[in-house]
Parts: sequence; structure tokens; C-alpha cells
Amino acid sequence: MPEHHLSSLVVHAKPDALDDVSRRLEDEGCEIHARSEAGKLVVTLEAPHQRELSDALTRIQLLPGVLAATLVFHHVEEDEETQETPA
Amino acid sequence: MNLTRRDVLKSQAIAAASAAAGISAPAAAQNIVTERERTELQWNKAACRFCGTGCSVMVATRNGRVVATHGDAEAEVNRGLNCVKGYFLSKIMYGADRLTLPLLRKRNGVYDKTGDFEEVSWDEAFDVMAEKFKATLREKGPEAVGMFGSGQWTVWEGYAASKLYKAGFRSNNIDPNARHCMASAVAGFIRTFGIDEPMGCYDDFEHADAFVLWGANMAEMHPILWTRLTDRRLSAPHVRVAVLSTYHNRCYDLADLEMTFTPQTDLALLNAIARHIIKTGKVNTDFVDKHVNFKRGNPDIGYGLRPEHPLEQAAENPDAAGGFTDMTFEEFEEFLEPYTFEYAEELSGVPARRIEELAEIYADPDTKVMSLWTMGVNQHTRGVWVNNMIYNVHLLTGKIAEPGNSPFSLTGQPSACGTAREVGTFAHRLPADLVVANPEHRATAEKIWKLPEGTVPGWVGAHAVLQNRKLKDGEINAYWIQVNNNLQAAPNMLEETYPGYRNPENFIVVSDAYPTVTAQAADLVLPTAMWVEKEGAYGNAERRTQFWHELAPAPGEARSDLWQVMEFSKRFTTDEVWPAEILDAAPEYRGKTLFEVLYANGNVDAYDVAETEEYPNHESDHFGFYVQKGLFEEYARFGRGHAHDLADFDTYHQVRGLRWPVVDGQETRWRFREGYDPYVTEGAGWDFYGKPDGRANIFALPYEPPAESPDDEYPFWLVTGRVLEHWHSGSMTDRVPELHKAYPDAMVYMHPEDAASLGLHRGSAVKLTSRRGDMLTRVETRGRNRVPRGLIFVPWFDANQLINKLTLDATDPISKQTDFKKCACKVEAA
Repeated sequence: MPEHHLSSLVVHAKPDALDDVSRRLEDEGCEIHARSEAGKLVVTLEAPHQRELSDALTRIQLLPGVLAATLVFHHVEEDEETQETPA
Repeated sequence: MNLTRRDVLKSQAIAAASAAAGISAPAAAQNIVTERERTELQWNKAACRFCGTGCSVMVATRNGRVVATHGDAEAEVNRGLNCVKGYFLSKIMYGADRLTLPLLRKRNGVYDKTGDFEEVSWDEAFDVMAEKFKATLREKGPEAVGMFGSGQWTVWEGYAASKLYKAGFRSNNIDPNARHCMASAVAGFIRTFGIDEPMGCYDDFEHADAFVLWGANMAEMHPILWTRLTDRRLSAPHVRVAVLSTYHNRCYDLADLEMTFTPQTDLALLNAIARHIIKTGKVNTDFVDKHVNFKRGNPDIGYGLRPEHPLEQAAENPDAAGGFTDMTFEEFEEFLEPYTFEYAEELSGVPARRIEELAEIYADPDTKVMSLWTMGVNQHTRGVWVNNMIYNVHLLTGKIAEPGNSPFSLTGQPSACGTAREVGTFAHRLPADLVVANPEHRATAEKIWKLPEGTVPGWVGAHAVLQNRKLKDGEINAYWIQVNNNLQAAPNMLEETYPGYRNPENFIVVSDAYPTVTAQAADLVLPTAMWVEKEGAYGNAERRTQFWHELAPAPGEARSDLWQVMEFSKRFTTDEVWPAEILDAAPEYRGKTLFEVLYANGNVDAYDVAETEEYPNHESDHFGFYVQKGLFEEYARFGRGHAHDLADFDTYHQVRGLRWPVVDGQETRWRFREGYDPYVTEGAGWDFYGKPDGRANIFALPYEPPAESPDDEYPFWLVTGRVLEHWHSGSMTDRVPELHKAYPDAMVYMHPEDAASLGLHRGSAVKLTSRRGDMLTRVETRGRNRVPRGLIFVPWFDANQLINKLTLDATDPISKQTDFKKCACKVEAA
């Protein structure tokens, strides 16, 4: 059964590396929703497999300029379920 | 607006992350948050199962299964954040090889140590186990039974097990795996302050002007606290971060001052800092005069090896390792005289000017300093000393027990503090800092427990490493292991641990959720309910006690450790295990089961099972009373009114934890400080009331070399430790395929020039050899850990690459904690 994994995270970047880190996060497939000049980014990451998500997370933590990356929210559902129900 | 369910979920994810980051959420996300109820999940709080930080997580269940988690936004500790390990909490209980029935080694239908595991009923399992324990107690007495528990036990599990052993079997041979991680910190607290656990709390992260990491790799091991530290550093530009380690780790990314030092030389660095504080006139004389005593610790204390080892034979004070004598401030100053920055540089390899820079951080009266440490300091043959010496520099400057001035001992396990230390599941301890060697303390325990005088024995039981030695030597024969993977975790495993497990005279029981290396070496394996499959309580590193409810059923016939301990106690009567003189003096205890005298004693069974109705509770349903509440309330009597006050049971289910002492409903954030700690009398300023005269001790302790250093034959330092994606021995995290893939096999981190000089490169297969054993692995020269020349680092989580075949079973002679951080080894192409 295909799954849909959704997570959000807060990434702490060195303030002077914020643009660079943002670009690299987008290359990782992240969506960036908010940022503060102090170096914090609010990011979501979606994937059909948790493995892809966790691999991406490990890579994010090791990106140059990233000081810390922590998760906030994680949800997993069977794929059809997330698409079927309109709001 | 036509939104898919996915949009709703996503907006929730964004809103939660924005809230955690302190950034206002994008408008679209805010508007949709109210649709939360659409997720149809039952959400409850729980303390995270993993490290000692004590994050609170929200756990979602659907149809009796955990399906989602997120950081608890109401929790002061983690404020909605969650690290990678916490992220996968929803999966740790659902590994394919989860144990669901007891397994007993059998041949031809009966127990046989050389037989193969067969599934058996709980009745058969406990029949055989009770027979073995009874035979051992009958033939050899209480000193021949033992238990190895855990800083992952819930509070009541540790308490119930401690009662079963110390009062029921009358054996103090019970010790937690926290011996391997916290014992030096404990002894450090007791020697310096006379009372265990940090005076400060996590609030210090937002008040400190400088952070000093003594070996702790917080970026990987305490990611949530690291985030708080990072937040402080980035939002307050004057804040500085000093990182000390024996190898370059991820914390260096944030470091203003980095210092890579030769193993063991933290002793010299700390003395050089203390010397600098005195030489530059930065001693807080008013504080020191009123609140400090000076003590000279016994030197040359050996390395906690077997007594016949040449290093023990050569040592002056192996039997008086913890001893000390009075000295004056002037004598202390004189003692420090040799520890110049130049001498410290010579030993440590850290440039003198950098040591001076660090010393200035401590010396400057306007800089509030938080020192942080974990295993680098504690897993050290002089670990107690280093703990004492960190307190030395905080005490000399009076930078202690107030917001931002905080020597802070971090912990590695979720209830190393709450269970192992506060409940006192160590071989020498009782609850609330009482000790078995003190007759008055034993009398207090017997009174609270409603047991006859003399029930609790006064002999100090075998500590972790000594238990292994006694198993090997056939002196402990009936042994129960709960919530840990000691065979993989203990040092020098082939010579000192495994032989004891397979010694034909011994019967080894392992309670676990998974078939760990330790379980596979056992004779009986008991399937165990874990985390939210039971009602639980943990105590974190900042004295915070946190509760959770049972939220999901355990698979098959798995039962909690608590159920196992209490149910097993029914199979023994006092007449079988207590001597005649106790029963002659207290005949009313004759013929009773241990369950009756320990748990159905009017205290533990005082609360109606009906109180548990709102949530499942498999233990209370089985025993017929509210087990957890009864155990907790009896336990709390030890500490209330004695500076270890806990709140009432029900309160903890409502709040996100409280930091003890909890007096008049108020938690205590900073102990020993007037205005924060209700135990400090007005006008005192500070009161280190753990000591009879209210004064803390500053210790004169020298640099002494490690038990084993590199030489021509074994030219490398071997350092072991953890990596972010795995926690401890990997017995839970290895069950999560994603985590396993992220870091599938342990590697040896080495310097590229060392690799090149041996004709090796990244990915080469190598054999690591010490005087005790060898292991095959692969070379890593890049990545997160960058080691200096002459040192290699190996993570220890991988059950297929057992690095503890190489490590030395040297311990701190005071704390009996193993030094996993330094021994000598060689590296060869394989």
C-alpha cells in the first residue's frame, strides 16, 4: 500500500549562511514556509517512503551552515486516504 | 476553499513548526489549524522513550496502535520540537521480531542450558525461574542472586524491583546500567555537595553568557538541548561557546573556542583553570569563605581492575579511593602551582593561549557560565575527579546555583535520574540518597516498607562490572536482566561478560521487547511491554518527574517489567527466603508470600483499581489495585520533607512534569540558592545543605595517567561512543529500517593521514586489535566526526561489530563506572 509521509522541521542555520542553506534545502526537496533573520527556517518535507524522509533529514543535518535540524510533526497515512477526503 | 486532507495536515505541520520556532505561521496555515479534529486520532502526552533530556511528545493512537507523534508544544523542555529518535517513536514498538511469548532453553521437553529456545507459558517460565532462584538462595544465600536493571525502567519498575531484591531476597546485588553512564556523576555530587543531581535546570540555557562543553557532543546526543543552546547563541551575540573534545564533532560548527585535547588531560586543563582564577585574583572570596571547604583527595587510586592486576598492585590507595583530608585555601593554591598553562599544553596538546581564553570565561565575574558534560567525563577512570574539578571552578568563582551559572551534568537515559538515582536502584543505595551501609537509613526503609527490623542487609552489593566478574567466577548464579543490552554494552565482553552468561552453574533471565544480543545469550527470555504499552514515569536530567498513561496494548503475552517483578514475587514465601531470627522476632510475617509483604502491604495496594478506568492498565487489572499509584506514593514518603519532595501522584498526570523538590505545589528550579530553593533559610544566600555544615567541597586532585595509553605495538587511542541516529546498543532503533539504513554499519573514524600511512583509504576493510580482542570494520576518513592523528573513534551500536571485545574493563575506582573512552589499539588492513 503506498503511503504518504509528511513532516515539518525547524532548521537552525548560521545567519550568514541562511540564503545558501535555503537553496540547499530546496535542492533536497524541502518547502520553506518561514524564516527568521536569526537563522531559523520552517520547513516541510514530504515523501512516499519514510526512508526517503529520514535519509533527507540526515543529509540536512550535515549540510554546511546547518547548526541543528529538529523535527516537530510527523504523520503517516495510506496514500489514498490523504487524497480522498475533501475538506 | 476546497482543501484536501493533505493540505490540512500540511498546514498543521507548518503551524506546529512555526510555533516551535517562535516564528509567526504563514496566514494560510493559521486558518486551517482549527480543522485538527479531522484527524480522528486520540492524542496523549508521554515522555520520550530515548535519552535523558526528557522531551514530552504527543502520541496519537488509532485502533490500539501508535500512528503518529509530534513534539509537545506545551512542554517546557522541548517546546514542540522533537529529535530524529523521537520522530520514530511510533515505530519502535512494531519491529517484526518483537517477542510475544516467554522463551526457555529446552532439550527433550525440559530446561537445559545447552538446549534451544522454545516458547513456553508464563507459568512454566516462572516455575523454572523460581526453582533456580530458590535453589541458589537455599544453597548459597542472598549474595548469589543478582539483578541488572536500567535507567530506562520507569520509576515504579525500579522501585518494585529494588524492594524485591533488597527486602524480599535480602540481596543488594542489584545495580542499574546507569552504573555505566552516571555513577561518576553521582559520586561527584555526593563528594562535593552531599546530595545527588544538578542544582540548576534547563532554564539556564536562556540565562548563560557562555557555554563550555566538556567532551559532550550535544549536537548529536542531546539535539533538543543543543537547539536551545544554539538559539541562545544566535539570538544573543555576546554569548560564547567553548567546545572541548578528544575529536572534532558537530558541536565545533557553533564553537567560538574549540579545544581538541589528548584523552585524560581534562584533569590538567581544569587544574590550570583553577590556578588561573586564583592567580588573577578572581576568587569570589566572600562566597568561598562562607560556603566552601577545601579537601585533599587521596591520589594514586588505581583503575578499578581485578585486584591481582599489576596496575592495582602498584597503586597506593586502591582501597581508599574515595578518601580525603582537610586542607586550607593556601595549601590548595600551592597544590595547583605546577599546573601552568604551559604544563597543561604539554599534556593536552591544546595551545596555552586557548586554555587561558577558556580560563578567562570562568574567571570573569560578569560572565555567567553553564558547563555541560556527559560520558566523556563520566566514563573515565578519574571520572569522579573530573566532576569534582568542574565544580571546583564554579565554586571558586561562586558561579553556581543561580540562573545561567550552572555546572550541569547531562544524562544519557530517560530515567537515569528518576529511577536509577532517585529510587536508588544501585547496589549501595536506597531511595532519596539513603544508603544500605547506614543502619539508620535501613531502619527508615524498613519502617516505610512495614518490614521487620533487619530485613534490608547492610552489605554493599556487586556493581555492574563486579556482577559480570562474579557471574564468570560462579559466585552469582541466578541473575535477572531488565531493560538493557548488557552483553553488548559491557566492556571487555569476551573475557569478562559472555563467560558468566554461559557458565553452566548460572541461570540467566533477560526481560526484553526484542531478541537482543543479551537475550540470545540468556537461558530464559521474558517478552516485555514497552513505553506506552504501560503506565510510566521517568525523571530527567533537570529533576523533572513526568508521567504517561498506558495508551496501546502490548503484543501477544508481553508484560511490563513491573508485572513480571510483582508476579514473580508471588512464588516465594518469607519462610523460604528470610532467616529464622527475623521470623522468630516477627512471627506475623511467617508463611506470607513476598508479594503479600512487599506489595499487598497496605501502602502499595491502597488505591482502588477503579481509579484507572479512563485508560488501560494491564498491571492494575491483573493485581486488583492501582499498582503504579500505590508504589509511587509509598516511594514518595522517602523524600517528602527531606529535600527530595515529590508532588502527589495525580498531579503528574496533569502537568508536563515538575522539578523536585516540589514544596507546597511549587517546583524548584535552582537548588541551594536563597529565593529559589525553599530549603535555604532566609539570609543564608547559598546553603549546600547536603553537607552537615552547609558547605560544598573543593577538591585538590592531581593529573594521573590513564590505565592504558598507546605504545609501539598498539599505537592508537580507541574512543567509543554514539551517533545521532542510533541510541545506545541499537536494540530499539535498529528495528526501525529507516534508522538502520541511515547508519547501517559502524565504521572506524580515522585521520586521513593515519590511513594513508597504513596504506588505507576511505572504505578499506580493517582489523582493529587491542590486547583483549579484535573486530573487523571499514575506514571512514570523512563525515561528521573528524579525529586527530593517533586516535580512532568507533560507535558501539552495531550488534554485528562488537567494539566492546576490544575495550578495557578499567573503572573509576570510586564510582565503579567503566572507562569506554580510552584504551590502546592497532589498525591493520584486513
